[in-house]
Amino acid sequence: MESNLDYKQQLKQLKKENRILAKKLQRSQERQIQLEETNQKKESLLKRVIVDLEESRNILEQRTIELSETLAQLEATQKQLIESEKMAALGNLVAGVAHEINTPVGNSVTAASTLAQETTSFNTAVTAGQLKRSALNNYLDLATEASEIILSNLQRAGELIQSFKQVAVDRTSLEKRTFALKPYLSEILITLEPQLKKTPHKVTVTGDEDIAIQSYPGALAQIITNLITNSIAHAYPNNEPGQIQLDVRQQPQKIVIQYQDDGCGIPENHLNSIFEPFFTTNREGGGSGLGLHIVYNLVAQKLQGTIEVTSQPNLGTTFAIALPLLNKDR
Amino acid sequence: MFKVVVGHSNDPDSAEAVAEILEQCLESLDGETPQAGILFAACDFDHSLILKQIKQQFPDLELVGGTSSGEISSRLGFQQDSLTLMLFCSDEIEITAGIGDRASEDPRAAAKGAIATAQSKTSREMTLCLSFIDGLQLGSSKIVKAIGEELDGKIPVFGGVTADDLKFEQTCQFYQQEVYTDAIAVLIFSGNLLFSAGIGNGWHSLSKPKIATKAENNILYEIDGKPALEFYQYYLNDSAPSLKYPLAVFGDNSDKFYLRVPNAYDARFNSVQFFGDIPQGATVQIMDTDAQGILNSSQASISHALQNYPGTKPAAAIFFSCITRSSILGTKAAAEYQAIASCLKPACPGIGFYTYGEIAPLEKGGAAFLHHETAISLILGTK
Repeated sequence: MESNLDYKQQLKQLKKENRILAKKLQRSQERQIQLEETNQKKESLLKRVIVDLEESRNILEQRTIELSETLAQLEATQKQLIESEKMAALGNLVAGVAHEINTPVGNSVTAASTLAQETTSFNTAVTAGQLKRSALNNYLDLATEASEIILSNLQRAGELIQSFKQVAVDRTSLEKRTFALKPYLSEILITLEPQLKKTPHKVTVTGDEDIAIQSYPGALAQIITNLITNSIAHAYPNNEPGQIQLDVRQQPQKIVIQYQDDGCGIPENHLNSIFEPFFTTNREGGGSGLGLHIVYNLVAQKLQGTIEVTSQPNLGTTFAIALPLLNKDR
Repeated sequence: MFKVVVGHSNDPDSAEAVAEILEQCLESLDGETPQAGILFAACDFDHSLILKQIKQQFPDLELVGGTSSGEISSRLGFQQDSLTLMLFCSDEIEITAGIGDRASEDPRAAAKGAIATAQSKTSREMTLCLSFIDGLQLGSSKIVKAIGEELDGKIPVFGGVTADDLKFEQTCQFYQQEVYTDAIAVLIFSGNLLFSAGIGNGWHSLSKPKIATKAENNILYEIDGKPALEFYQYYLNDSAPSLKYPLAVFGDNSDKFYLRVPNAYDARFNSVQFFGDIPQGATVQIMDTDAQGILNSSQASISHALQNYPGTKPAAAIFFSCITRSSILGTKAAAEYQAIASCLKPACPGIGFYTYGEIAPLEKGGAAFLHHETAISLILGTK
């Protein structure tokens, strides 16, 4: 009897569980349908997203092309600007040169026209047979003076034109080769010996003998010559004996030539101007103001290096020239 | 004395399920006679049969309830397709039920009818009102507002909008042994009841806060002068507004907000339709959440209720949580009740259901208010 009741109870429980499971199955089937629908929606959404992404990618590619074109245009414009800038700089240079040359040429023209006038008068007197000794002497004095004026002024103009040619740095006329730097600097000093002999200064070269560089020796010679000439002209106004030192050091990816004198130094307010064309403190003494400008142009353009100047009054001036190990052709 | 018992059956057969819950309750009652009860039932049951069976067992029971989209209790935790009943016995408190029908025609009259019926059966002063309402006919916010106005804002109102598993076809409200639709069922507690509540939503902002510049009832046309649908689509990657992205509505100069859930949109007008009304001129913000946010906020709601309980021995706990919260949790839906239950003593009877809207004052002492996508915990007792 009791086991029968137990059995009924178990059966009742099983029936209940069966109903619960059936209901859960029904709900689960409903969910499955919902999930399928959701999946389909998500799939179509995903497709849309992919299409959108592709569109965006195409737009991006188009933009990239446009941007590249714009960039190319900008680069071309930049080059043009640089060229214009160079032309402007050249224009300034020419104007400066013209101004400089104008004085000696003007002097020459004045002297020549005076000479021409006097020669015409002299000719007339000779033709008329009225030439006096005093007039002859006068004419000869004037002709001699005029010739001297014309000669010296034309010489001055010639010098200026020579400098101008150097400024314009003829890039093709100088050869590029690999050379040992320190020995080459010593060679330059030998060529400067005639000028240095007239001064009490001593020039020394220090540094590693083995450092070699692929560059333009002609340009380097011009640079060192100009620096030494500059020191001789300006650093020692009282002709006191000076020490000029050239030092060569290799650093990663570059070679540094340090040029140092122990002269009077460059006043601070001049330091920013020394590389500008026609800047000189020695116009009366025949300075053209082109020496350091040539140095700057040669270092920056021909040798693709950099030059920095530091100076302290009464202690001297230092130029640090950094040159690339390999000079790429430009 | 205030005794609360709970029955819960997941048997899909209506007769078997009601028999099971009655058996469980009778055993727990231990001879006491219940004064009132709350019933939550999944929509597939034969509700009429169930109510009749309960009334047959307890003829004087003041019974209310409604259909739900998931039922919870301290007996079986979270269930779907189940039936759960909470019964109250007390000699200190009077608990009476009322019903008002045709709420969509005249919400104020329905609210008045429901409250008056319940009130007529007690001589004591009202303490708390629980209400279960239909939200499918008229916007739930209007009905909740009507209840609040009828109570003059003096009696706190809690409860939920009855549900039907996201079918949005028909939800039912229960009163005694009758099944209603488009009605307001209330259960009024009168006397020395102690209670406290906590609200948690766990949502965080997805969009920038903007002004609802054009809204009419539950339809939002413009946000910041631009079409509301476009605002949603901008943030949802062109997807349609969905239950998972409600709109936070902020009060005047307040960082407190309530949520409004979008349930439809109209591409012709670029408008979005919500379950509750959106006040024109309010600051709104699209919100987002995840499973952890939901679980944390449920725990926060029960913790807040427990901290604020004025007595020492809570006798029962009641929960109202939004159906969207369980759908976001998916297969982990049971975790929400587990998170809540972990804060309660195992002996404390609890019951709750998943709703189409939760009713609770925005702030303590405030008027009745409709929430969405929110968890509300209510704790009752006399000591």
